Amino acid sequence: MQQTVVDHIERIAEDVVSLVLRGATGPLAPWEPGAHVDLALPNWLTRQYSLCGDPADRESYRVAVRHDRLSRGGSEYIHRFLRQGRALEVSLPRNHFPLRPAPEYLFLAGGIGITPILPMLRAAAASDVPASLVYLGQSVESMPFVDDLRSSYGDRVRIVATRQQGRPDFAALASALSPGAVVYACGPGPMLAAAEAAFPSGRLHAERFRPAPRSFAPNTAFEAVCARSGRTVRVPDDESLLDALNHAGFPVASGCREGVCGSCEVAVLDGDPEHRDDIGAPAGRMYACVSRALSPRLVVDL
Amino acid sequence: MTQTSTRPRRLSPAEVHALLGEPEDMVKAKVQDHIDEYFRLFIAHSPFLSMATADAEGRADCSPRGDYPGFVKVLDDHTLAIPDRPGNKIADSFRNLAENDGVGLLFLIPGLRETLRVNGRAYPTDDPDVLARMRTEAKDPVLAIVVEVAEAYFHCGRALIRSRLWDPASQALADEIPSVGEIAAAQFGMDIDPMALTHVLEEGYRKLY
Repeated sequence: MQQTVVDHIERIAEDVVSLVLRGATGPLAPWEPGAHVDLALPNWLTRQYSLCGDPADRESYRVAVRHDRLSRGGSEYIHRFLRQGRALEVSLPRNHFPLRPAPEYLFLAGGIGITPILPMLRAAAASDVPASLVYLGQSVESMPFVDDLRSSYGDRVRIVATRQQGRPDFAALASALSPGAVVYACGPGPMLAAAEAAFPSGRLHAERFRPAPRSFAPNTAFEAVCARSGRTVRVPDDESLLDALNHAGFPVASGCREGVCGSCEVAVLDGDPEHRDDIGAPAGRMYACVSRALSPRLVVDL
Repeated sequence: MTQTSTRPRRLSPAEVHALLGEPEDMVKAKVQDHIDEYFRLFIAHSPFLSMATADAEGRADCSPRGDYPGFVKVLDDHTLAIPDRPGNKIADSFRNLAENDGVGLLFLIPGLRETLRVNGRAYPTDDPDVLARMRTEAKDPVLAIVVEVAEAYFHCGRALIRSRLWDPASQALADEIPSVGEIAAAQFGMDIDPMALTHVLEEGYRKLY
């Protein structure tokens, strides 16, 4: 964890605040567009937010937080109770949504999903790669960074207030996509579902901030063989691998516990994991909070 | 078994009044009829409360509720919601609330001497928007208790000062009490190894949600 101080907290759109977190003990860890950090809040909750500032700024991180109407206590705490000057622990940046080189980019952002897209757009523009942004939100007042985007990128940015204008035709965007162009999308579930229906899967990279609604086969019990320690942990059908490992004394970290943040990554050495996350686990890795096993045993590197 | 040979004397309300006098004006003034920003701040940082209810005949009950700070949601300036997490399944509170909706809450914040008292009327709900705000480890509680606030006020810290409740040295008191397994084995006259019983209870504590 990195020690920071809340340097600045400011309302930047309807129900959205921006937080600037200054490193308390020197420069903060470097990051690249698409990265997120965990904020350890004073009410014991840990929440993930995409970094939306400038990666060249090693003094501070910037995040933007929407007050969720159904907040469990994360965004509500930040909006109502977090104050300038408060010390805050922040994780090292993680990136499950990296910007890969491409000849052209189309960025799609829905509401607060603009946050990871913002540094991507800046990076693309800085390296003179053609890039455009379609930014959707219910109303312009609810959409952060609209003025900055308009003044920095002009007509490369299209702002769509869906309450008045409806959602733009993604199929039309897809058919107008130039060959080689790659799409990066972040936003609420329905927007991502529409994007997945419209764009070829090989050319769409999406990040979710909520798990996609899916159903899985009923849980089965399995064994996790911890190769380094030589211990075997039984995972009952009503317990997650993460909880079983924690209860057995393995200090596996955790964050969202919904398969979106990636804090609980575990290396798998053998066996057949059943991936239930929304990150897309790389080969030989799994997320212990939601993923289980198709084989009766998994060998993990613990 | 020991028993006092004579019952302690019962005071009349007038005698109590004569002994205690009138409450100070400041004490009366601090009682509010809604959740203001300071009560909201307190609730957002409180991981524990005790909840008192009684049935139609006045048979009373007090039960502990705890979770991460802010586990009690302030729905608006007059309404709270308390999640019902897996506990002992005895559901005394719900039986009482069905007959008598009066409820008294005492919120604590570790390290803080002052406490928050909230009194009002309560009912159970399964409103999905309320339960969604209480989701923990991807699980919603099955139901929640909605409290319509009638009065709320801070209670002074003397009781917590005298009790040294937050003094780390006070935790040595816990060492004087046998393990729950030993107590349960003795109380229920169970012919079972207290260590094994403690182990079973500890296993049960692993599943908190």
